[in-house]
Amino acid sequence: MGEVILDVRELTTKYVTRFGENVYAVDHVSMEVEEGKSVGIAGESGCGKSTLALSLMGYYFPPLHYTSGDIIISGQKITDMTPDEVRKTILGQEIAYIPQAAMNALNPTQKVIHFIENVFDAHKMGMSSADVRAKAESFFHAVGLPPEVLDRYPVELSGGMKQRTVIAISVILSPQVLIADEPSSALDVTSQKMVIKMLRQLMDKSYIKSMIFITHELPLLYNVVDDIMVMYAGQIVERATAKEVVLTPLHPYSQGLMGSIMVPEAGLRDVKLTAIPGVPPNLKKPPSGCRFAERCKYVRPACTAQAIPLRDVGGGRSYRCILSPEELSEAHAREVYSQHVH
Amino acid sequence: MKHTLRQVFRSGKFVTGFIIFSAILLTVIFYPMIIRDDPLQIIGQGTFFPPGIYVNIADSMSSTRYILNLDDAAAKRIASKLNDADREAIREWLVGAGIPEGDIDIANTESLLGLWVSNYDTTVRIPGMTNADRNYYIRLNRSLDGLLSEEGVTIAATNPDTNALEATGTVELTEYANIREVANVRILPLGTDNFGRDVLTQLVTATGVSLRIGFVAGLIATLIGLVLGLVSGYIGGVVDDVILFITNLFTVIPGFILLVLISFSIGQEQRGAFVIAVVIGLTSWVWTTRAVRAQVISLRNRDHVNLSKLSGHSIAHIIIRDVLPYIASYVIMAFILQISSAILAEAALSILGLGPRTTDVPTLGLMMNWALIYQAHILGKWWAYLPIILVIALIAFSLNLMNTGLDQVFNPALRD
Amino acid sequence: MKGYRRYFANKLIWFFITLVVAFILNFTLPRLMPGDPVAAIVSRMAQGMSNATGVQAIYEQYTELFGINRPIHEQFFIYVSNALRGDFGYSISQYPRTVADVIRSSIFWTIGLQLPAIIVGWILGNALGALAAYRRGTFDRVLLPASLFVSSIPAFGMAVILLVIFGVSLQWLPTSGGYGYDLIPNLSWNFIWSVIVHYQLPFWTLVLITIGGQAIGMRSMSIYELNADYVKYSRFMGIKDNQIVRYVFRNAMLPQITGLALALGTMVFGAVVAEVVFSYPGLGSTILTASLGQDYPLLSATTLIISIMVLVANFSIEIIYGFLDPRIKAAQAD
Ligand SMILES: Nc1ncnc2c1ncn2[C@@H]1O[C@H](COP(=O)(O)OP(=O)(O)OP(=O)(O)O)[C@@H](O)[C@H]1O
Ligand SMILES: [Mg+2]
Repeated sequence: MGEVILDVRELTTKYVTRFGENVYAVDHVSMEVEEGKSVGIAGESGCGKSTLALSLMGYYFPPLHYTSGDIIISGQKITDMTPDEVRKTILGQEIAYIPQAAMNALNPTQKVIHFIENVFDAHKMGMSSADVRAKAESFFHAVGLPPEVLDRYPVELSGGMKQRTVIAISVILSPQVLIADEPSSALDVTSQKMVIKMLRQLMDKSYIKSMIFITHELPLLYNVVDDIMVMYAGQIVERATAKEVVLTPLHPYSQGLMGSIMVPEAGLRDVKLTAIPGVPPNLKKPPSGCRFAERCKYVRPACTAQAIPLRDVGGGRSYRCILSPEELSEAHAREVYSQHVH
Repeated sequence: MKHTLRQVFRSGKFVTGFIIFSAILLTVIFYPMIIRDDPLQIIGQGTFFPPGIYVNIADSMSSTRYILNLDDAAAKRIASKLNDADREAIREWLVGAGIPEGDIDIANTESLLGLWVSNYDTTVRIPGMTNADRNYYIRLNRSLDGLLSEEGVTIAATNPDTNALEATGTVELTEYANIREVANVRILPLGTDNFGRDVLTQLVTATGVSLRIGFVAGLIATLIGLVLGLVSGYIGGVVDDVILFITNLFTVIPGFILLVLISFSIGQEQRGAFVIAVVIGLTSWVWTTRAVRAQVISLRNRDHVNLSKLSGHSIAHIIIRDVLPYIASYVIMAFILQISSAILAEAALSILGLGPRTTDVPTLGLMMNWALIYQAHILGKWWAYLPIILVIALIAFSLNLMNTGLDQVFNPALRD
Repeated sequence: MKGYRRYFANKLIWFFITLVVAFILNFTLPRLMPGDPVAAIVSRMAQGMSNATGVQAIYEQYTELFGINRPIHEQFFIYVSNALRGDFGYSISQYPRTVADVIRSSIFWTIGLQLPAIIVGWILGNALGALAAYRRGTFDRVLLPASLFVSSIPAFGMAVILLVIFGVSLQWLPTSGGYGYDLIPNLSWNFIWSVIVHYQLPFWTLVLITIGGQAIGMRSMSIYELNADYVKYSRFMGIKDNQIVRYVFRNAMLPQITGLALALGTMVFGAVVAEVVFSYPGLGSTILTASLGQDYPLLSATTLIISIMVLVANFSIEIIYGFLDPRIKAAQAD
């Protein structure tokens, strides 16, 4: 067991819309990331994954607002720091972010090297521009980019090159945690796999100590991350090792997300297309009971009565459902079987 | 659909614009039903009568007389004749004539006039007084003459037999007529214009005509833009190249140049309000074409359009069912903008002497043109030009607001 | 460098194409109209109705100059070659002055007024818009509806309002003309001062009009850029806010330059009409004179000159833009 790098306790953040409504897109989320570990976060579009990623940075600007909870990175409680302290000492150095749309993450009218110089300036690293350049070249080399890219404008780079450029810049200050937010639709799965592979390599070469990978393709995370958290409507609904979540999902929502992984060949497409019927609840007025209740196959009256706590089943595994693990696994097996038969 | 509408009406900007525009529209519709005067009838003999209630003098003398003893009547009567500048002038004269400054209270009309009457003498020479000043004081003195008298006014008529003037009655200073009993009263809330026409009635009609011009021009421009944009964007290839080329040409070659040239060349006889509207429409489709084309190109390869293509639907079906609904919001926004820019174009053309040549209907541009030609702005006749500017600005403002509101609903990237 | 050169070449070719089309339109449009002013001139001449001094001469010279009896394409080439030599014949309304002479005496007033006014208005408008985008909140909330309303006032309306306030009520500035009507143009201080004083109202009218539209455009461009992904990424890389603001405003300004090129036609239209309100001795007043005097040669030449001015301005803006936006170079390089 490695040392805990990122420790998040009951973090809650909200969007304040133009009309003054609150959208609680991250609701009492707790998580830990240990050194050398990678964590995947999965969930449907709109369930709050990107918001969680933004919230973890500890640097808030409208419309996103911090509400409550703690974020502790390498022993520093960043939720108690001033925004400028966070900016100067945490961002990029302790925790870095690769945005969902890496394609547009670079200022189109600025040469790549100039942006890198700005990054170093912002952290008062006091490095000469020759040093910055040398460092940038080594990082670009690590992600397989030629040094000429430094003197190009982002428009002159291909999509894949931009992706690598953003990755190289994100890790250039050797952050402890790297958060990669992957788009749901823009990139195809192979390219997402490429990104994950590259991040893993960076971690192996200890450019970064740990990472969080966000995707809505739950099956994709199998084999690439150590732990998986499944998010639904702003809450964590299940947390376990990748293997457990993928092979024996407990929460009905995780089961739904996994769809047909148990039946690899037959009718795979059909099952995937059926996905989970219904839509996530409106986060402006989330249901008071189980948030997944109205889409859940196993729903019963008790589900909507009160908020469901996260249940710890040991071994680092927890889930948010009133059914017991046995009931859930059994129900899941039955479900898979019936799908297989039809 | 219903949901979108609800969202649109939740946008403060849109609603504000909508309310202003509806108010203008309702006025244009209902005003003529209530006030049935001919907007172009020349009623005033003379130019630029100020706004107010015009009471027929003969009628008010022949109507029932009521005695009202009002304390401040005399003071008001004097005040209306003796303004602050006059009082100041009187003080100057009195000081010049040797009256101690402390004795003069220009706020106290009675004492001031008393001093004036007892001291003023045309022959007294005040040092530093020019001839013009002297004449001014003589005129002032004459107008003040009898201002303090308590006597009524005698009315006289010529006796047809003797040709002599005979008193037929008197009007006491305390006599009043009830305005409701006076047969002829005309309210001119915005006075008259240079021809002596009722500005308000004319303004309402002109607003209606200008709105119609805007509507016709907007409709033509939007239709051309829509068709060109659809054809260009959807069919692509050479057709697109040609249309794009033409559109780019007319983006840089200023549309107003064509407008001026065509309006001039059509000749005065042909240049009615409708023709001007058509010409404006024909020279302002460029933006709609560009916007529609861009939208259609981005739609062309969307899944639902491809699906429709695969299902063998006709081009017309695809355009109507799968493309139009998605660009409807852009088309509506373009249309709204066209209306307001067409109204402005008509006004601008008129000021350049190229507006509708018609004596049947007024337009906002023509009214503005006449006001400028007769120098209403230099002469301080605000009622002849300010309301026109205000109406044009309000129409443009309300339409712009509606547009911004729609834009916010349909392009949420531009939050706020 | 190669990228720029190709961009210039493209723009130059496009400039010539638009120029040629402007000539063609200016020549053909009037001749296609039901009231064809050229035919009107010729027929009036043929009827011999016009024997007043000068008028006959104009018509004859006009037929001569434009080769009215030749085939239409020959007429066009005659027209173009005359125009290129600056020969537009006599003005009907101001005979015996030539059209070229009338235009020569008004064009510099228009350029001298509109060019600085549009540039100043553009700069101020963008600065204000950027500020409004950066300081959202109350500042923005008050300023935006106000500037939306102000920018809804047409140019001539703004001209009249400023004229009434500063010319008529306060009597600070003269209300009409380009210089005192009792002065003869020369280089004396007296005259120059008069020109400066007369310049103020038209100039500030145009500046105000330009500011309104530009500020609104810049504000929404900046807000759009502020929401861009690179802003979020730069923030999370710890870049300081004022540095990010610099990125944003530079990027927001670039489309404003293109926007200026596209809006130029409309702006010049407004400006031309505002000139009329101030009886400024520029091309706007020339159009008015021409339309009141049914002076086709003058009108046609004026519209041609304005088109050319707008096209040249447009071309210059695009050339400048090519230098400012690195994306242009990149896009042309491949
Ligand atoms: N700027 C915003 N203002 C208000 N609500 C927002 C804003 N951005 C996102 N939301 C809401 O917050 C919720 C979570 O959004 P988020 O972007 O985190 O989803 P996501 O899980 O990342 O989805 P995706 O897979 O599509 O990226 C959604 O309901 C969304 O509507
Ligand atoms: Mg996301």
